Amino acid sequence: MTILTIIIALIVLSFATYYITKINNQVGAYTTVVVTLAALVIFLLEGDKLSGASSIGILRFSVTPLAWFFSIIMLIVYSMVAFFNPYWMKKILHPGAYNMLFLLSLAGTIGVFFAENFIVMFIFWEIVVWASMFIIPFGKSRTASVVYYAMSTFGSFTFLYAIFMLYANYGTFVIKDSLEAAKGDANIAIAAFILMLLAGFIKLGIFPFHIWLPMAHGNAPDTFSPILSGGLVKLGAFLTILITTLLPIHEVTKDQAYIFGVPILIYVLMIFGAISIVVGTLMAIKQDDAKKLLAYSSVANGGYILIGILLYDEMALSGALIHIFGHAIASATAFLTIAAVSYRTGTTKMSELGGMIHKMPITYVVYLMAIISMAGIPPMTGFISKWLLFQALADQGMFFIATTMFFGSIGSFLYVFRPLSVLFLGQLKPEHKTVKEAPIGMLIPMVILSGITLFYGVLPNSLVEYTAKIESALGFDKVIETSALVIQGNNGDLHAPLITGIFAFGFIIALIIFLIAPKSRKVGLMDTYTAGEFLYTPSLYHAGYAYYAPFERLYQKHPNIVALFAALVQKVKDFGKFIRFVFFSRWPGRGVMFIILTMILLMWGEKL
Amino acid sequence: MAKKANIKKDKVKKIVIDKSKSIIDAPSGMFSDKINEPFAHEMIVSKDRSENLTPKQRKRKWKSMANYFSANSLWMLMYCTGCCAIELPQAMTSRYDMERLGMGPMATPRQADILLITGYLSLKTLRRLIYTYEQMSEPKYVVGFGPCTLNGGIYHDSHAVINQLDQYVPIDLYIAGCMPKPEAVMNGFQDLIDLIEVGEATGWKDYHARYEWYKQNQKEALGEVMIHDEFHE
Amino acid sequence: MTITITDFLVAFGVAFCGWALQTSVSGITRKTVARMQKRYGPKWYQNFRDIFKLLNKRAITHGWVYDFGVIMALAGIIGTAMFTPVANIVVFKGYDNFFVFVYLFAVGMLGMAMSASGSGNPLASIGVMRALTQMVGYEVPFMVIVLALIHVRDTSSISALVDIQQASGWNLVVMPIGTIVGFICLMGMLGKKPFDTYIAPAELASGPMVEYGGKQLGMLMIMHEIATFVEISLFVNLFLGGGSNILEFLVKYFIVYTLASYVSNVLGRFKIDQVVTFYYKIPILLALIQAGMLVIFGWGV
Repeated sequence: MTILTIIIALIVLSFATYYITKINNQVGAYTTVVVTLAALVIFLLEGDKLSGASSIGILRFSVTPLAWFFSIIMLIVYSMVAFFNPYWMKKILHPGAYNMLFLLSLAGTIGVFFAENFIVMFIFWEIVVWASMFIIPFGKSRTASVVYYAMSTFGSFTFLYAIFMLYANYGTFVIKDSLEAAKGDANIAIAAFILMLLAGFIKLGIFPFHIWLPMAHGNAPDTFSPILSGGLVKLGAFLTILITTLLPIHEVTKDQAYIFGVPILIYVLMIFGAISIVVGTLMAIKQDDAKKLLAYSSVANGGYILIGILLYDEMALSGALIHIFGHAIASATAFLTIAAVSYRTGTTKMSELGGMIHKMPITYVVYLMAIISMAGIPPMTGFISKWLLFQALADQGMFFIATTMFFGSIGSFLYVFRPLSVLFLGQLKPEHKTVKEAPIGMLIPMVILSGITLFYGVLPNSLVEYTAKIESALGFDKVIETSALVIQGNNGDLHAPLITGIFAFGFIIALIIFLIAPKSRKVGLMDTYTAGEFLYTPSLYHAGYAYYAPFERLYQKHPNIVALFAALVQKVKDFGKFIRFVFFSRWPGRGVMFIILTMILLMWGEKL
Repeated sequence: MAKKANIKKDKVKKIVIDKSKSIIDAPSGMFSDKINEPFAHEMIVSKDRSENLTPKQRKRKWKSMANYFSANSLWMLMYCTGCCAIELPQAMTSRYDMERLGMGPMATPRQADILLITGYLSLKTLRRLIYTYEQMSEPKYVVGFGPCTLNGGIYHDSHAVINQLDQYVPIDLYIAGCMPKPEAVMNGFQDLIDLIEVGEATGWKDYHARYEWYKQNQKEALGEVMIHDEFHE
Repeated sequence: MTITITDFLVAFGVAFCGWALQTSVSGITRKTVARMQKRYGPKWYQNFRDIFKLLNKRAITHGWVYDFGVIMALAGIIGTAMFTPVANIVVFKGYDNFFVFVYLFAVGMLGMAMSASGSGNPLASIGVMRALTQMVGYEVPFMVIVLALIHVRDTSSISALVDIQQASGWNLVVMPIGTIVGFICLMGMLGKKPFDTYIAPAELASGPMVEYGGKQLGMLMIMHEIATFVEISLFVNLFLGGGSNILEFLVKYFIVYTLASYVSNVLGRFKIDQVVTFYYKIPILLALIQAGMLVIFGWGV
């Protein structure tokens, strides 16, 4: 099978799904499951030996390890999320359109990854943007979609401008050739780099373009939020990796002044990543909506990924790639658990929930494993990537960037713990007494995703080896080294199975102590220490609202970037009013005058 | 262990009140881990049961390490209802230093081993006291301070105060005095430790054994609550 | 290097001895603090008595996560202690990475936090919230200091850092400011006053511990002792040159713990927002200055 066949098949099937869904909702939804799973199986079976040979005109594809790696992440996320679609068919306004766009956006992402030239990449990029733009308003809000589209359009324009700039100068659309050619002229290369990076920044949700993420993630249908966070955001990371390594930007900028051992441009870009980490962390801590919280955590993780890519050494890139993988899986899992809770209770607001563990224990365990990975705690994938990133940071001695990264890393304990404590633990509200565990169709994908997170946390070597392969394909002189079970860093080794083994050993010891001691007596949740007071209303006895109030108070008067964008919007509106005042007034004479003036200018033509 | 406990008991029996020293400037036993005997005076009304140990009981006591640990690490929950509570700070701080007996104040009933009831109990507080007592983890002990817990004390004819606390929760030890002086408090605690070491402080077992009886008494005193919400109990 | 079951047993021996050591040392400290307050104080083995008493009690449980969290907490901390290099006993040489310490330690903390929240008591949730907030305070300056240290020493293995210090002088001399910051952060890690905001017995009824009694509390006490052992050992290994023999290590260990306890006994308690603002004013500034001195100028190396 060639990439072209797969993409065309996906596009055709997406339209077919629309009509299938028109006939029967459930069949249509299960079609998405089958199609995505089939695509995943094909990709896994063929490996990165997939052929990119066939082409139609300019639609050319090339298969690289990087593209394969990203498409596998995307396919895992899409196929697992697709299991949720059947349950949402009744809740979504236009199920047919939803299923069609779901598959179309998948075709788009695969097209972006394997595109050989910028034009194809841009076309598929736009397909993804448009498909997801139409899905988002199926959820709660239309404004979210507008903001998302406005941001994306800005990115698309800069991207397109860069493409044509490169074409104008070097006469080729082919990604490798044009970037290779741009290497000679530093000014053009840097301009194209920044313009393209803007598109990447917007998709990845880097400050100051992060505001669309919480709006879109928070308001999209519950089944599409995992795709946005786990999949589509990673498109930005893909573009960033591609242009950073193929150019490569460190060689282009080597004439610039250096700061902490990196060119100043790179350092400035890293600062944007660092700001994203801090802003994402601080904003995530104060969210009450679980989906918005996870969306802001995606902003923070986007910052890690950006810094990892820009550090540009084999450990950092490997760390960034594994972080993309780990975060995509973990974040999708976390969103799915929230979706499952929302399916059963109808809300994602944490203060309205509580004690869900007593009704949905498996969902709870899945969420727990996801957040262990997101917080970078062993034995999960998130730990491996964080370890690699910290190693690279320590190696390059960038302590200012590291400070923000440590802050984000410890801060992530805070925000990931909030849903755990407020939503899953604590007092069960009386109105949720009848809630049941999520249906089996939802549990299967969640458990599979947790299994993946755990597996690559315990045995990360195959993953690390593949990142080494990607690095050598991208032209790195030195790639990350692994031996049997050990990852060799620049200043230390990581033995992931040993850590797991020791944890298991400790667990056995603790379990033995627990079992030897006398058996405990089971008491109810309301039988807790109340200073002798009698309480009967569980919702009054649950610390759920404003969980981190003392911490939030410390930065409640923070400047808000949304205000800046709002001011911009206001300026545009004022300008529009001015135009309307001038051209479309009640006095037709003014309009006629302008038309005549314009015509005179036009007739004057070139001579003016 | 048995021997030591007996010796302590003997010493308690042979009380010699040294009247030459006033209580205020008495040496507080700062650097001794035993109670200063001259001040363990006659106000103690502990149930002195360790005298009548049978050999079998002694043997069991030797076996039972659990009692040793329970006795020497008593964490208190202070239910400071009445005036007797004012004597506890002195017993805790430098002058009498309760910590040398392994005792210390705790924040919640879950963590605590002994419940100190320091004075009279109104019906409203009795309900809360029972709730708190039932939340404690076993083994647990209760110490009643002053005459109010024994027979109502000066509040014996009040309509709102219960007279005999051991009708409602099992009491392991009373400490007499209105209020009991810190010396008496310390001596009472030493007695409680001895009782626990020999496995004689079995109030919590009694609560299980005669649960119906206790519940009946509680219900008679408190009446039944019909509406269960935050405002009716 | 191959890892055998013997390594695991020796490592567990380290963890066990660490527990016994810390429990005794904290008992001795209780005694000396009592003497300072003109009290007699408890026996030096009082903490052992407390732990065994608790393990003997018949406790309550609030559901499986309440128990599971406690086991996970103890497991994480035992695991961390098994990695700890003590003087010349280094079991997993090369794999005792600093970042492994930080994050494996977090497993224990997460377990405890989970269990405490699982009890359903809002006071426990508030305590956990404070503990996590405090963590944001103390971890960042500490990790910045250690990052600079790793950068100049080119290794993140604790035992290798100890070896370098044995050869070329303690980090106390190389980075005096960093050591001060490290000590302030250590106080936060240990939860000693003024950073015991999350326990706050009179305010939160001992915070995360509010619902524990019996064996769960006993296991958390064991966990607390081992965690203290890990933290103090980490400080001794990172800044005071570890120890060439056990005795040297023990002396340093004793001094650091006693000093931390004495400092804590003469201070009051911060509010939680004060804790965060404190750490983000002085220690982080000092940490960045020290990191700059080491990384940019290479002073003292």
